[in-house]
Amino acid sequence: MRGFVAEGERYRAILEPAEARILISLGEQLSQLYADGLAGDPLAEQALTRVLPDAYRDDEEAAAEWRELSRRGLIERKAGFAAAFTEPLRAVADSTTPTAVTLTEGGAIDWMRAIGDLRLILAERLGIVVDGDEGQGGPEGAAELYAWLAWMQDDLVRVLDAPR
Amino acid sequence: MTTAPTLDASRVELPLHAAEVPWRTVVWNDPVNLMSYVSWVFRRHFGFDQPTAERLMMQVHTDGRAVLAEGNREQMERHVEAMHEYGLWATVEKVER
Repeated sequence: MRGFVAEGERYRAILEPAEARILISLGEQLSQLYADGLAGDPLAEQALTRVLPDAYRDDEEAAAEWRELSRRGLIERKAGFAAAFTEPLRAVADSTTPTAVTLTEGGAIDWMRAIGDLRLILAERLGIVVDGDEGQGGPEGAAELYAWLAWMQDDLVRVLDAPR
Repeated sequence: MTTAPTLDASRVELPLHAAEVPWRTVVWNDPVNLMSYVSWVFRRHFGFDQPTAERLMMQVHTDGRAVLAEGNREQMERHVEAMHEYGLWATVEKVER
């Protein structure tokens, strides 16, 4: 994958089928986590704390009230971002040659959000807690995935920011 | 027919002046989100120009937090929800007076 280019109102990148399969697998794990979180699974709830932080820091009552009102809707919207991330990748994964993914601006923003959520969850598994942590010593390949997703998100910021 | 009620002026609540609104949206530093992305989110959501967004992003990075908005509680909760949609760590807090 070499990064996105703007084409009219769209953003286009060419991916290897193997890259698309990895990203779909990550996106599907994220979707599953949201589904489990909505179902009240305690392990999923724990994993989602970094993606769904409290809205009040020193007021547990206000934080609980806000969770009650906002958490479900937020998870549903985040599940939507995850789906918008995986769906366009399926045609690439099914191909035998490098294939283009084309996104609208809204699609590109959904990708940035889904990628950001994936990085937050990977960071938790990699034990990244302060600036400068790079997650070495995590599960095999996880630090590389974390860095690759950072590159993709930064690339999307770049292409969305580029003068048109 | 009825008459207009007599208003007790001392009990009429005036809307808060913008400078007096007591809530704010704070974004906290985290070791995961990219500086380029955070700056982009500040521009996209709050409509800041590039230098302002960069300055606030650097403030989050170096001071650990920055105030992104002040206003009534409902507005601040909407900002925080939007920040959470973008994966940023944001909270609502009362302005100390």
